[in-house]
Amino acid sequence: MEPVELLHMSVFSQSFSPCGRFLAAGNSYGEIGLFSLAAALSPDATAANQKPVLTFTAHKGPVFSLLSNDCVLLSAGNGEISAWSWTELTKKNVKPLWTKRPNYKSGLEIPEINSMVLNPQDNSLVVGAGDNNVHVLDLEHGVFKTVLQGHTDYVHCVCVREREAELLSGSEDGAVRMWDSRTGQCVHCIEVYKYESCARPQYGKWISCVTTDSDWMLCGGGPSLSLWHLRSLSPTSMFPLSGCQRQAAFHQDKILAVGEGAFVSHCLLGGEVKAQIPCTPSSLNTLQLNSNSSEHRVLTVGGSSSHVDVFTNLSYRAFSLSF
Amino acid sequence: MSSDALKKRKSKVLRTEGGTPEVKRGRGDADPQDVRVYNEEVELDSKDPAQDYAQYKESCESLAKLMSEIQELKASGAKEGSTEVEQKRMQSCILFMNLKKLNRLAHMRLKRGRDQTHEAKQKVDVLHLQLQNLLYEVMHLQKEISKCLEFKSKHEEINLVSEEEFYQDAPTEISRPQHTKNDPHQLTLARLDWELEQRKRLAEKYKDSQATKEKIQKSIEVKKEHLRSLQPGLNAIMQASLPVQEYLSMPFEQTQKQAEVARHLPPPLYVLFVQANAYSQACDKNLSVSINGDVDEAKALSKPPDDSQDDESDSDAEEEQEKTKRRRPTTGGQLDDKRREMIKRHPLSLCVDLKCKDGSTLHLFFYYLMNLNIMTVKTKVSTSTDLSMAISAGELLKSDTLLSCLYSSDQGRETPNPANRYQFDKVGIVSFADYVEDLGYPYMWVQNLGGLHFPGETSEGMLVGSSLSASHMESTMKLLRGRVQSRLALHKQFASLEHSIVPISSECQNLFPAKIISRLTRWTTISHQEFMDLPYTRHVTDAGLSKETDLYFMGVIERGTARLHAAVVLSPRYPEISPLFSVSLNWKGECSGRTDDNLRAIESEVNVFKNELQGPRPGHQLLTNQIARLCVCLDVYLETEGQDDSVEGPREFPREKMCLRTVRGPNRLKPFKYNHPQGFFSHR
Repeated sequence: MEPVELLHMSVFSQSFSPCGRFLAAGNSYGEIGLFSLAAALSPDATAANQKPVLTFTAHKGPVFSLLSNDCVLLSAGNGEISAWSWTELTKKNVKPLWTKRPNYKSGLEIPEINSMVLNPQDNSLVVGAGDNNVHVLDLEHGVFKTVLQGHTDYVHCVCVREREAELLSGSEDGAVRMWDSRTGQCVHCIEVYKYESCARPQYGKWISCVTTDSDWMLCGGGPSLSLWHLRSLSPTSMFPLSGCQRQAAFHQDKILAVGEGAFVSHCLLGGEVKAQIPCTPSSLNTLQLNSNSSEHRVLTVGGSSSHVDVFTNLSYRAFSLSF
Repeated sequence: MSSDALKKRKSKVLRTEGGTPEVKRGRGDADPQDVRVYNEEVELDSKDPAQDYAQYKESCESLAKLMSEIQELKASGAKEGSTEVEQKRMQSCILFMNLKKLNRLAHMRLKRGRDQTHEAKQKVDVLHLQLQNLLYEVMHLQKEISKCLEFKSKHEEINLVSEEEFYQDAPTEISRPQHTKNDPHQLTLARLDWELEQRKRLAEKYKDSQATKEKIQKSIEVKKEHLRSLQPGLNAIMQASLPVQEYLSMPFEQTQKQAEVARHLPPPLYVLFVQANAYSQACDKNLSVSINGDVDEAKALSKPPDDSQDDESDSDAEEEQEKTKRRRPTTGGQLDDKRREMIKRHPLSLCVDLKCKDGSTLHLFFYYLMNLNIMTVKTKVSTSTDLSMAISAGELLKSDTLLSCLYSSDQGRETPNPANRYQFDKVGIVSFADYVEDLGYPYMWVQNLGGLHFPGETSEGMLVGSSLSASHMESTMKLLRGRVQSRLALHKQFASLEHSIVPISSECQNLFPAKIISRLTRWTTISHQEFMDLPYTRHVTDAGLSKETDLYFMGVIERGTARLHAAVVLSPRYPEISPLFSVSLNWKGECSGRTDDNLRAIESEVNVFKNELQGPRPGHQLLTNQIARLCVCLDVYLETEGQDDSVEGPREFPREKMCLRTVRGPNRLKPFKYNHPQGFFSHR
């Protein structure tokens, strides 16, 4: 790859292999790079081990989302979803198992797929797409069984609330919608930007990250990152982070969030920002914790750079993988 | 009474003792005294000392006897002045007198003895002196003799013919065997005579030979004169034939002349000359080669090497002498001279003119540095049309950047010959780069064209001589032509960029929407340092994409209150390597490609997706197309910013571009891609 292309590359998505020894990262040129964590984390690792063991072009557009279940890697780009077998990928065989495309209505521009999440209850894949809808793909039969309509702008992010059989989606229109996964009906709609405590009109109203943990929800974007109690549907704490957050995750008793700005923010549930750990890219798109393997338990973050920063300890950056 | 008189006499005697020892006898008459003294002296001769001694003993005994008789008399009571005593006294007085005389004689005898001894001693001394003189004479004579014995004759150094040969060859009147057979001295003399005779004969012979030689030389001179007189005639004939040659379009004369001059070219320039001529005849009629410089000087240089070396050393010595005369030479001055000597160029140089289709010509001047064994090149571009002076284009056609990096990383600032490093160390040249301005640039391809090959870190195979030159000629000439054309194109473009016009050719119209509102307001050149100091170019420098050899520019694009700064890295190999833009937007605060994902997307729009902007081959319009694209992207950026409908009041930038969606994807990028026939903007 030419140095100029490397210079303008962004990493949008990451996913760890089921064995936890590999990391797949998708970039803005539609490529997926496979890094060997086992090699990069070994004591005698060299600079060559921080390069991908395999790079292949998966899609035409940027790879906005990557997801792994116990045998396949699912990648989303340019309006289509492809599945790749992990065992084949580790043997460096690059051939998609299948490629599917939701039923879009609009014609001129192919809507992108911004987010995917697995719903283990009925083995389905929930897809947040650029046509303002959430599509549900039945992985058993390989067909799109439902379309959740209601958002007025494109869907940024989706997540699953397993216990309640609910799906959540955050959208550019500023709303977080909760859907009943069985009926496909919209249960609730929270317009976050209308809450004064969260709203930041200077940025905008879109919601770019949503994640849940039992009765709690984290959401942020144009409005500041906030923790919500879902039963009462009310915000409980705001996190005073500058810039828009693009991904957040619950980790033990803390919240990790990334977004604009070259750092990973560590927040306490109460609303304080505990630490901001610097990293290489000037803004971050994705954060991923490897829980698949106890030996390679790391945090990786990617953003507007060809580097993927690796944190073996949450409090400092250990090294960078790079395309 | 008589005793008184005696006393008186005694005292008298005492008084006159020294002068007259015989006062007692000479009382009454003083005249015969001399006779008496004389007598005494005579008496001395006649008397025997032994007799005197006996007399003395006798006198002393009788005196002692008289004394004792007087004493006896006295003791027996004789009266003072009795006759007996008186008599006795008289007798003793006489005895005293006698003793006195004896004493005197003894003294005189002693004196005489002494005188005699002295005389004898003087005689001995004279004799001793004589003896010494004689001894000295003997020694001197002995020395003379030994000197004579050591004498060497000159004839011993002369190599003589052996004795047998002498008897064989020499006539009998010289050899005289009857005399010489037995007498070695005569033999030697005879042999010397023979030697002299022979030498005389040889001298005669030598004189004869000299005379014939002179004669022959004179005849040669005459013949030469004759031949020389033929030259003007021949020249006249040649001159007369010139119109005929021209008429028949057969430039024998010129090519011959050039070939004649080319013989004096140093080998690398000769290889280049031959190859360039061959190439121009075979493939490229627009390439012409000529030789410049002082032929005579070159001729002097191409003389046999030992001669020239002598000359050099002589002149060096003279120079040094001169210097010492003037002043004690400082080491600095000497080093300067040595440096100048080291970087000396061959007096002949090669000029290759490369004509392009549009009438512009690239003049390449090739030089050969004799002592460094490398070739250098200088360039000049002449154009058919007068180039309007664009300030920012000043660097483009300059000798130092025009040919930089013709082949990748061939900057021509350091000498390609590794041996030069050691030569430089000797004379204290730190870097060849200080001299390229004067001497020209020693690019690798120049060495290759001249058939010089230096093993470097990146050398693959060894190619030698003219085959090496031939293998590079075509590709290099193509590259040179491409380089000049791209520079001339850039030159023209810069002239209009400085007048805030972004030229877009008709072929490229479809790359951009019809209406572009953002305008380029400034286009200036900046230095490498200025570029590095910009806060938003750090990533480019860190990625190693801005090099010292690159050219740097700053463009400012404005629309309304928004102002976009674009720092541009232009590689000397443009358009093969595309320009690299880094942008920073000054609108409602400062943001750059580092802080704003959309500006980063704009950067990648012009830097990464440059292939769409290439235009017709070979892509001379890439830079202007990139700038135009930047203007379009700024339009889109500004028009789609601040979508929030809740904000009241008129917008600064009304939406004019047609966009399907204003934002897309997780990082909410704006649609920067233009779709031609439909005229809308979409996302990548």
